[in-house]
Amino acid sequence: MKAESVYRALLWCYPAAFRHEYGGEMRLLFADQLYDARRRGARKAEAAVWLRAARDAVTIAPKEHSHVIFQDIRYAVRTMAGSPAFTAVAILSLALGIGANTAMFSLWNGVLRSALPLVQAPERLVILSNPASSGVSIGSQNGERALLTFAEFEQLRENADVFSGLMASQSLLEEWQIRVEGGDPENVRGRMVSAGYFDVLGVTPRFGRADRSTDGRQVVISHEYWRRRFGGRMDILGKPVTIRKAVLTIGGVAPAGFAGETGGQHPDLWAPLGLQREILPGRDWLHDAGVDKVMWLHVFGRLRDGVGVEQAQPKANAIFKAGLETYYGSVQSAEAKRQFLDQRLKVQGAAMGASSVRRRFADPMKALLAAMAVVLVIACTNLANLLLARGAARQREIALRLSLGASRSRLVRQLLTESLVLAAIGGVAGLAAAYAVHRTLVAMIGEVDSTFKMAFRLEPRVLAFTLAATVASALLFGLLPAWLATRTAASESLKVQGRTATGSSGQLRWGRLLVALQLALSLPLLVGAGLLLRTLHNLQDADLGYGKDRLLVLDRVDAQTAGYKEPQRAQLMAAIQEQIRLVPGVKAVSFTENGLFSGRDSGDEIEVEGYTRKGNRDRGSRWDQVGAGYFATVGVTMLRGRDFDERDTAAARKVCVINEAFAKLFFEGRDPIGKRITTVYGDTRRIHQVVGVARDFRTHNLRGEIPPRYFVPVTQPLGEFDGAVFVVRSAGESAGVMKGVQQAIRRVDGAFPILRAEWIVERVATRLAQDRIMARLALAFGLLAIALSAIGLYGVLSYGVTRRRSEIGIRIALGAQPGRVIAMILRETGWMVAGGLAIGAALAYGAARLIASQLYGLAPNDPVTAGIAVGALLLVALAAAYLPARRASRLDPMAALRQE
Amino acid sequence: MPNVNPESLLPLPTAEFHILIALAGKDRHGYSIMQDTAARTGGKVELSPGTLYSSIRRMLEQGLIQELSGNPEPENTDQRRRYYRLTRFGRRVAEAEAGRLRSLLNQAWATGLVTGRP
Repeated sequence: MKAESVYRALLWCYPAAFRHEYGGEMRLLFADQLYDARRRGARKAEAAVWLRAARDAVTIAPKEHSHVIFQDIRYAVRTMAGSPAFTAVAILSLALGIGANTAMFSLWNGVLRSALPLVQAPERLVILSNPASSGVSIGSQNGERALLTFAEFEQLRENADVFSGLMASQSLLEEWQIRVEGGDPENVRGRMVSAGYFDVLGVTPRFGRADRSTDGRQVVISHEYWRRRFGGRMDILGKPVTIRKAVLTIGGVAPAGFAGETGGQHPDLWAPLGLQREILPGRDWLHDAGVDKVMWLHVFGRLRDGVGVEQAQPKANAIFKAGLETYYGSVQSAEAKRQFLDQRLKVQGAAMGASSVRRRFADPMKALLAAMAVVLVIACTNLANLLLARGAARQREIALRLSLGASRSRLVRQLLTESLVLAAIGGVAGLAAAYAVHRTLVAMIGEVDSTFKMAFRLEPRVLAFTLAATVASALLFGLLPAWLATRTAASESLKVQGRTATGSSGQLRWGRLLVALQLALSLPLLVGAGLLLRTLHNLQDADLGYGKDRLLVLDRVDAQTAGYKEPQRAQLMAAIQEQIRLVPGVKAVSFTENGLFSGRDSGDEIEVEGYTRKGNRDRGSRWDQVGAGYFATVGVTMLRGRDFDERDTAAARKVCVINEAFAKLFFEGRDPIGKRITTVYGDTRRIHQVVGVARDFRTHNLRGEIPPRYFVPVTQPLGEFDGAVFVVRSAGESAGVMKGVQQAIRRVDGAFPILRAEWIVERVATRLAQDRIMARLALAFGLLAIALSAIGLYGVLSYGVTRRRSEIGIRIALGAQPGRVIAMILRETGWMVAGGLAIGAALAYGAARLIASQLYGLAPNDPVTAGIAVGALLLVALAAAYLPARRASRLDPMAALRQE
Repeated sequence: MPNVNPESLLPLPTAEFHILIALAGKDRHGYSIMQDTAARTGGKVELSPGTLYSSIRRMLEQGLIQELSGNPEPENTDQRRRYYRLTRFGRRVAEAEAGRLRSLLNQAWATGLVTGRP
C-alpha cells in the first residue's frame, strides 16, 4: 500500500493530461510488477522495478512534457494562421513595444551600468577625481576635488603604494586637427594620457606598443580609426603624425572595442601627456603658477591585491594633503591658507570609468524607460482586450473541449502558449526593432553631446531583459483572457450555442476595466509630455535679459595660442573691435573673456565695502573681463551708472560694473555706485570701484537663479587675460555680416583661423537639445498611449453594442430617439473614463514628481498642463466612443430582432 | 493514419516493436504486453510503466494500435484494464521495420562483420 502511494507521487512528474489518461493503468502495472518480483522473492528484481520507475520520472516524463508543449505550439500556430489580421496587429505592436523597451534598456545599461570594455578586472580600478567632471579649471577649489593637476598626479604616483599602478588622462575629449605624413589636415578626437595608461587599464595594443614614458613621441590609435583611416594596413607603425606643434609617430593600435577610460566616448588617438605644451601651444598645464593650479586630469589607479577602497582613500589623501601643505606653504594670510588646504580626494570604484553624460542622463533615462514600459503595458492591454473578444468567439470550441474532458488548467496552458508564441515572435522582431530604435536614440543624444557614440550590442543582460519583457507581456495580455475564457462552465455555454456566440457580460465588464486601466496609464504620460513641452516652450521664451535677435557670437580669439604676450592682448582685441565696427551691417561690437554660454567661468573671493560677510554663500562672486561698450552691444539695460568706454585704460582709476543680483546680495538697498570691491586671491588684493549696475542677464545657464557677477574692463584685469569672444549686434541676420566679421579678424592678424560664428538664438537652441529630445520622446509616448487607449475604448464599445443589438433594437422599436441611445452609450463610456481619470490623476501626480528636476517655469502639479491633458484625453475618448454610439442609434430594430 | 508513409516512422523504438510483436497474436492489456515481452526475451526486456504507456500514447496517436472499447476477455473481471489491438497500419509499419532490420543484418553478414547466417 505504501509503495503505491510513493508511485502515485512519482506520477506527478508527468503532464496532467498524460497522468489522467494513463496514471491508473501505470499504477496497476507497477503494482503487478512489484507483486511479481516479491512473489519470486528476488530483492534485486524488486529494486530494479523501483529503479525503472525512478528513471522513467526523469527521462520519460520530460519527454511527455515537451510533447505537450510542442502540441500546444502547433495548435497555437494553427490558430494564429487562422486569424492573420489579429496575429499581424499583435506581433507588430509587441515588436515595437518590446523593441523600444529593449533599445532604451540597452542604452541605459550601456551608459549607466556597463563596465569599460576590454579593461582587465575593472572592479579593481578606482578613480581619484570626480568621474562626472571634465574640462580645465585654473585656480583653487574647496572641498572634494573634481580634477587633479599634473604635479599632484606625479606625487601620488611616486608615493601611493596602495596602488599597483596609477595613470592620468585628460578629462576633456578634444577635437584636434592633425596631419598624417604631412597630408591634408583632418579632424580627429583625441586625448592626452600619461605613461602607464594602457598598463593600468590592463589593455595590450593589438599591435605595436604603448608608450611607457610620459614625454615619449608616440601615439596609439584606436582600432576603429585604424580601419577607417588606414584600411587596416599593417605598415602604419612609425608614420609621422603632427598635432599642432607636436610631431609624433604612430606607435601602436589599440585592440578592437577598446574605447578608453570614459564611458560613451570613442577617441581616435591617445597622445602623451608630456607633449601638452606642443599640442596646446601657449599654455603650460603641466606646471602650476603661483597659487593657480591647473586642474584638468582624471587620475585612475589599480588597487593592489588585498587593498580595498577604504584603505586606499586615507593613503591617497595623506599624500595629497602633504602636497597641498608644501604648495601653499608661502601663503601669508592664515584665512586664505586654511581655505586652500580645505580639499580632499574621493577614491571610488571606476569599473564604469569616467562619464560626463552618466549623471546628466540618469534621471531622464529612468523616466523614459518607465514611460516606455507603460506604453508596452497599454499595448498589452489592447491585446488582452482583443483576446477577450476572441475568447468569446471561441466559447463554443472551448466549452466543447471542456465537456469532452479537457481540464481547465490544460486549456489555460494551451491559451497561454498561444500568447507566449505571439510574444516570442514579437520579441524576436522586437530585437530587430531595438536595433533601429537604439540608433535613433543614440543620434538624439549625439545632438546633446557630439562625442557620444554607442553601438547596439546583444549583451546577456540586454537579452535577459528582452526575454523578461516578452514573457511579462505574454502573461500580461494572455493570462486574464485565458482565465476568463475557460471560466464558463461547459454545460452553461453549450446551452446557448444555438445563438451567435457573443460572449458573457463578465468578459465585457473585464474589457471595460481594462480600458479604464489604459486611460489611467495614459494620463501620466500625457501630463509628463505636457510638462516637458511647456518647459521647452518656457526655456525657448526665457528672458535672457537682452534681445535675442541679430546678436552674433564668435568662437574664442585665442591670443595666447597665437603667441601674443599678456600686455599686448587687450590692444589686439581693441584693434579687432575697430576692424569689426567697420563691417557693413554691424551696429555694435564688443567682447568678453568668458563668452556667452561657452561653459567657461571665473570666480574669486571678494570683500565688499560696507558689507559684513554672513556665511559661505556671500564669500565670493563670479566675474568676467570685457571690452568697451559690452553691455550696450549685448543689449543689457544699465539700471545705474555707466557702461565701460575708452576712458577705462590701464592707467585710469580701476572700475567695475555689477549685476542686479550682486547689488541685491552685497548692497542690500544701499547705493553701490562709488563703492569698492576687493578681489582676494591668495596674497593678492585688487580693488575696483563700482561705476554701474546692469540688469540681470543670462550668460551661462538658462535655468536657475542668476548668480551675483561683476565685470571689469580687460585693460584692468583680475586675472590673466588669454583671449576673448566677440559679440556683434547687427542690422540684420545675414550671412554677409557673419563673413565680414570673420574676415575682419584675419585683417588684423592673418594667422588666426576662420572662427565659427553663431547667432545667439541658435546657440540657445543647441543648449536646449536635451530638453527638446525629452519633450519630443514624451510627446511621442503620450500620443501613442492615447491612440492605443482610443483603439481599446472603441473596441470595447463596438463589442458592447454588437452584444446588445437586440436590447437596443427593442428600445428603438419602443420609440427611443437616436439621441437617447447615443446618450446611453456615452453615459456608460463616461463611467469608464471617469474611473480611468481618477486613477490616472493619482498616477500622474506621482509621475510628475519624477521629472520635477527637468522642469522649468512651472510646478510638477501645474493645473493648466493637467487640465489640457485631461481635456485631450476626454476629447479622444469622446471621439472613440461616438462612432459605436452612432452605429447603435442607427440600428434597424427589425433586423436586430430578427437575428434573435 | 492512412496517408502516412510507414517508412516515415522508422526506425521504430525497440519498445514499440516489442509492443507490436506482443499484439500480433491477440489483443492485450498493458500488463499482458509487459509479461509477453518479458517471456519472449527470457526476462531481459522488462517494460517499465512509463516506457510502456508513453509508447502506447505515441502509437495510438500514430495509429499503430487502437484501444478497444469493450473487454475482450469477459473472464477477466478487472474492469480497469484497457485493451489494445494492432491496426492494419501498425502491421505495415512492423513489416517495414522488419525489412529495415533484415537489410541491415544482410549487410552485416555480407561484409563478414558478423557470422552465423541462418
